[in-house]
Amino acid sequence: MAALRKSILLLLLTGYTMFAAGPFVWVAMMSLRTTTEIHHDHFGFPDPAHWNKYPDAWFNSNYATYFANSTQIVVAAVILVTLIGAMAAHCLARYRFRLNRVIYFVLFSTIIFPPQITIISLFQILVQYGLYNSKIGLMLVYVAIQLPLTIYILESFFARIPSDLFDAARMDGYSDWEIFWKVAFPIALPAITTTVILNFILLWNEFLFAVVLITEEANRTLPLGIQRFIGDTQEDIGMIATGLMIAIIPVIVIYAFFSEKLIQGMTAGAVK
Amino acid sequence: MAVVSLKDLTKIYDRGHAPAADKVSLEIGDGEFMVLLGPSGCGKTTTLRMVAGLESITAGELSIDGAVMNAIPAKDRDIAMVFQSYALYPHMSVKNNLAFGLRRRSVSRSEIERRVVSVAETLELTPFLQRKPHALSGGQRQRVALGRAIVRDPKVFLFDEPLSNLDAALRVSTRSEIASLHRRLGATMIYVTHDQVEAMTLGTRICIMNGGRVMQVGSPLDVYHQPVNTFVAGFLGNPPMNLLPATVTDAPGGCTLAIGETRLEVPGTRMPAHSPGADLTFGIRPENVRLGEAPGAGFATLAGTVTQIEALGAETIITAGLPNVAAPLTARVAGDGGPGVGDRVGFAVDLGAAHVFGPDGRAVTQS
Ligand SMILES: Nc1ncnc2c1ncn2[C@@H]1O[C@H](COP(=O)(O)OP(=O)(O)OP(=O)(O)O)[C@@H](O)[C@H]1O
Ligand SMILES: [Mg+2]
Repeated sequence: MAALRKSILLLLLTGYTMFAAGPFVWVAMMSLRTTTEIHHDHFGFPDPAHWNKYPDAWFNSNYATYFANSTQIVVAAVILVTLIGAMAAHCLARYRFRLNRVIYFVLFSTIIFPPQITIISLFQILVQYGLYNSKIGLMLVYVAIQLPLTIYILESFFARIPSDLFDAARMDGYSDWEIFWKVAFPIALPAITTTVILNFILLWNEFLFAVVLITEEANRTLPLGIQRFIGDTQEDIGMIATGLMIAIIPVIVIYAFFSEKLIQGMTAGAVK
Repeated sequence: MAVVSLKDLTKIYDRGHAPAADKVSLEIGDGEFMVLLGPSGCGKTTTLRMVAGLESITAGELSIDGAVMNAIPAKDRDIAMVFQSYALYPHMSVKNNLAFGLRRRSVSRSEIERRVVSVAETLELTPFLQRKPHALSGGQRQRVALGRAIVRDPKVFLFDEPLSNLDAALRVSTRSEIASLHRRLGATMIYVTHDQVEAMTLGTRICIMNGGRVMQVGSPLDVYHQPVNTFVAGFLGNPPMNLLPATVTDAPGGCTLAIGETRLEVPGTRMPAHSPGADLTFGIRPENVRLGEAPGAGFATLAGTVTQIEALGAETIITAGLPNVAAPLTARVAGDGGPGVGDRVGFAVDLGAAHVFGPDGRAVTQS
């Protein structure tokens, strides 16, 4: 009975894995084939495998630059979002002051606006401040768009830390600033890790703001790099696949390293 | 050396609401163990937190060793506090929990190490120093919380119901641990509880609070034997003092009371003259009520019908209804056996131990 159940479960999981991983495997295979080969047989195996497409994309199609740009912008944005978000969440969760809930609600309500609404005014603002077409400009926009969700996730976590802990730390002689760093931040680490991964993945793949706010080749990010292979009349499917793989690899690495922490963070509320 | 003095300490959390602590005045001597006792919500924690510096003081004055502390932040008051929830830092090992408070106080590393090791030794925490709090039992966590206070060697210790999360057996042993701690350190301690037994056994003095106000301050036995009002009388003791409504009859001298249909003459030393017709409260502890007729002068007989018997082995708690009296009468008699429910029996009341409270609830007993 147990064996039967187990095999059914295994079957279901295998089916789901194939369903979820299928497109990924397909792109991975295409990344090693030329566009002509792909047009002949959409689902063929990479035989022979054109490994040289990777260095080709990296060196000849400017992917090294895109990769560096993406890394700089996203890493900086994630660090800023995490620091500002954690501090704001701690403040909203812990301190009683007038308008606390109003600020919280206003911050959170910005989530409901679709990005298309804000993008025109953002464009204007960036042009006026001379930040249009710059990495710093895009980075600041990323910080701004990810901040509400980050604060929302972290606030509920910080609010669950018993206030006695902060009182104990105050009796132990620590200032509010030190209490944030030595008590609140380490305790909230699982939740903070969750937001780091979430923000990293979302921003790494971000296209809309990047395509509007960056036009200069030297400042393009990876999702824009893929656009390069889409011409007016023709698409270089093979190189698009290679570019996608280059873009995806860091996400997979990060996820593989942090997935345990991520699950911990998401279930932290459920366990206690 | 630490004398903690509270002068009309008041806390109002939200404007328009009743104060959580209302003009609390208290002088806690050096090395004294003061217990704040009272029902839930009476402002014990609020008072303690004002002393700790965790809560701002709305009005009044707090001083330690003569220095006013109202505006001094918690960290500079040299006070340690043990929380009901223990409040151990979950991300730190026991050792770091103990050392955390010392790291901010310009204590050298070797001195921190020495103190942590010695405190861990006395509290039998040495085997757990590297563990995180979640891997400890409730009792061990409690000891870490105590250790965290001791290791700081503060002027004043504050405890907010530190034993309420422990099971009965552990509570008794930790209670005596705290008592011996106080004897050994000789430090000033303020201890909040709503457990009478803790208050009676630990306290040098007890401060009984109700509705944010101090009702009575005194040694445990003083407070037990000379309650100043009906609240204190009815709060202390298990079962608490019988409080029976009584009227002064117009007998000469005015110290004859009518309780239901019974008249009894309270000795003048227990009760000053009162004008006839006044509504008073007659208080008598269950242990001063015996079964049977009054054995002689100084006793009165109250007859009633037994409504409940609680046999506890060594003693029996008998509750009886008295005719035309709103409150029941409880007697605490030795041994088991005796009357059954529904029996009509006489109770001999020791008038020498009686208390009389005026219409305002205050004691009029002369002692
Ligand atoms: N932060 C707060 N804001 C508003 N009111 C509060 C706050 N803390 C306590 N109170 C109120 O103050 C009163 C006294 O509370 P306090 O915690 O001092 O009671 P306590 O004697 O410690 O009770 P317990 O035995 O249940 O712990 C209560 O009526 C409570 O509702
Ligand atoms: Mg309390």
